[in-house]
Amino acid sequence: MRRVRWARSAAAAAAIALAIGLAGCGGGDGSSSSSESSTTTPPPVNNVQPITVDAGPASLPAADANVDVAFTTVIVCVPGTSTCQSIDHVIVDTGSTGLRLLGSVLTLNLPASTTSTGAPLGNCVQYADNTYQWGPVAAADIKLAGEVASSVPIQIAGASGFPPAPSACSAGGTPADTVIDLGANGLLGVGLFRQDCGSACTSAATNPGLYFGCGPFGCSATTVSLSQQLRNPVWMFPQDNNGLMISLPAVGANGQATVAGNMYFGIGTQSNNVVSSAAKAQASDDYGNFTTTYNGVAYDQSFIDSGSNGLYFLTTTQTGLPDCGVQAPGFYCPTSPASFSAINSGPNPSGSGPTVSENVAFSVANALTLFNSPFTAFNNLAGENAGAFDWGLPFFFGRPVFIGIESQVSAVGVGPYWAY
Amino acid sequence: MKKAVFLLPVFFAIAAPTFAALGAAEESVGADEQKFLPTQTTMSERGAYRLHEMTRGDGSVVREYVNGQGKVFGVSWKGPVLPDLSQLLGAHFAAFRDNAHQKAGRRRMAIVHSGDLVVESAGHPRAFFGRAYLNSMLPAGVTQETVQ
Repeated sequence: MRRVRWARSAAAAAAIALAIGLAGCGGGDGSSSSSESSTTTPPPVNNVQPITVDAGPASLPAADANVDVAFTTVIVCVPGTSTCQSIDHVIVDTGSTGLRLLGSVLTLNLPASTTSTGAPLGNCVQYADNTYQWGPVAAADIKLAGEVASSVPIQIAGASGFPPAPSACSAGGTPADTVIDLGANGLLGVGLFRQDCGSACTSAATNPGLYFGCGPFGCSATTVSLSQQLRNPVWMFPQDNNGLMISLPAVGANGQATVAGNMYFGIGTQSNNVVSSAAKAQASDDYGNFTTTYNGVAYDQSFIDSGSNGLYFLTTTQTGLPDCGVQAPGFYCPTSPASFSAINSGPNPSGSGPTVSENVAFSVANALTLFNSPFTAFNNLAGENAGAFDWGLPFFFGRPVFIGIESQVSAVGVGPYWAY
Repeated sequence: MKKAVFLLPVFFAIAAPTFAALGAAEESVGADEQKFLPTQTTMSERGAYRLHEMTRGDGSVVREYVNGQGKVFGVSWKGPVLPDLSQLLGAHFAAFRDNAHQKAGRRRMAIVHSGDLVVESAGHPRAFFGRAYLNSMLPAGVTQETVQ
């Protein structure tokens, strides 16, 4: 099943050589490697978008408060107009792609997307806990800091009046399309990929079925072009579009009430988003995964995900950590904090040289103790995840993390890659 | 017992097309296929158990493990989207659903131990994987690690 991505190595090296003179050009069309553009570099724009880690939207009851979730405020506009809405508490999610806003929150009347035959277009995203988000696709201008992504397909999750989720989307699970169920007003997918699905959804033979054409008899899976798909808004910016960096300050062992940090758009495109020489850059595979090695065992379906609210890794048997039991099943509850380290590794995104490895040390505290604290930001909240490491938001505290978008180029290489 | 024997054929006649796999008879694999719509199916004898594997063009794979009593003791899945877990887990789906998601960890992995049942669902969009098995139905000499 797993494809090795070495074929691109030579192309990557060539593209990097080109990119050194082209940083800031491109802009969502992916043509940076073939461009001979001599157009003037656009003037720098504000590329700093604030992030907050807190309990969540004001409308969220205290009993449903979040821990270890990073939020930002997104401005969406009817394309090409100044008719806009500012939506706070949108989750910053490096584990998915595209903007998803709750229909109950969005008040703008955005132009709906349709299939090639004119049927309303529906989109689906699933999560591992068998929750899902479902709703129509519509176009919006997305404004983050001084950056604008124009006329981008987004999902309106749980939009009223739209047909119910087809069973291929719900997969038996439950929707996360209310503020209480999502814990947020929306979700901003700024991960490793350009589209939520990519080329798989353009062909019937490989279509996993994330898009549906809807009619009076319900919704059925359809293929869609790349341009019809939800897209990483960072990739759509006219500049600073090769990736982003998330920077959250360190928090202490007892956590912190709230945390303020930033997203910096672009990698090496401005003075504030340069990858330090000490940082290790590691390519991910075509699925967004890399290898984490723990106790001599390699887990090759591991990933970094700001949208996961803990460090989820292995099982009680493998870690020796006790489960929290009925009050918080699946979370770890050691009697005293436990120290761990694991090694993340992946190919050099420059396309040459040996595998790049980085040792990551972390601590696991008693999750029930953390949940009973009034704080919302912890670097030591952890739980089970059979067969892999999911480096969630705690990984980001005190560690600037760069996300290189697929096929986009920076001084460290070609995406998809992580650098930290 | 006599009542159950009498009722079973009637029950099957009505419910067989949607009867799901885990813990059920091997015939239920067919119902799962109807839902999963594989482009390729294989069946192989593995000594203590029989393996059914379904593959789809999007790279999704579902495996079902059948013991010597003809019962599905394990299922696993891998792919860009989740298979219909209510179909695959059948009578055990409710126990998974009731324990899988909680507001303390929205959109996270799900590991459920409920009596005899173990369900592990992991991954993220584009790359999900997971498995479920019934400890009491594992054939002798077959460990949980067989279900992958």
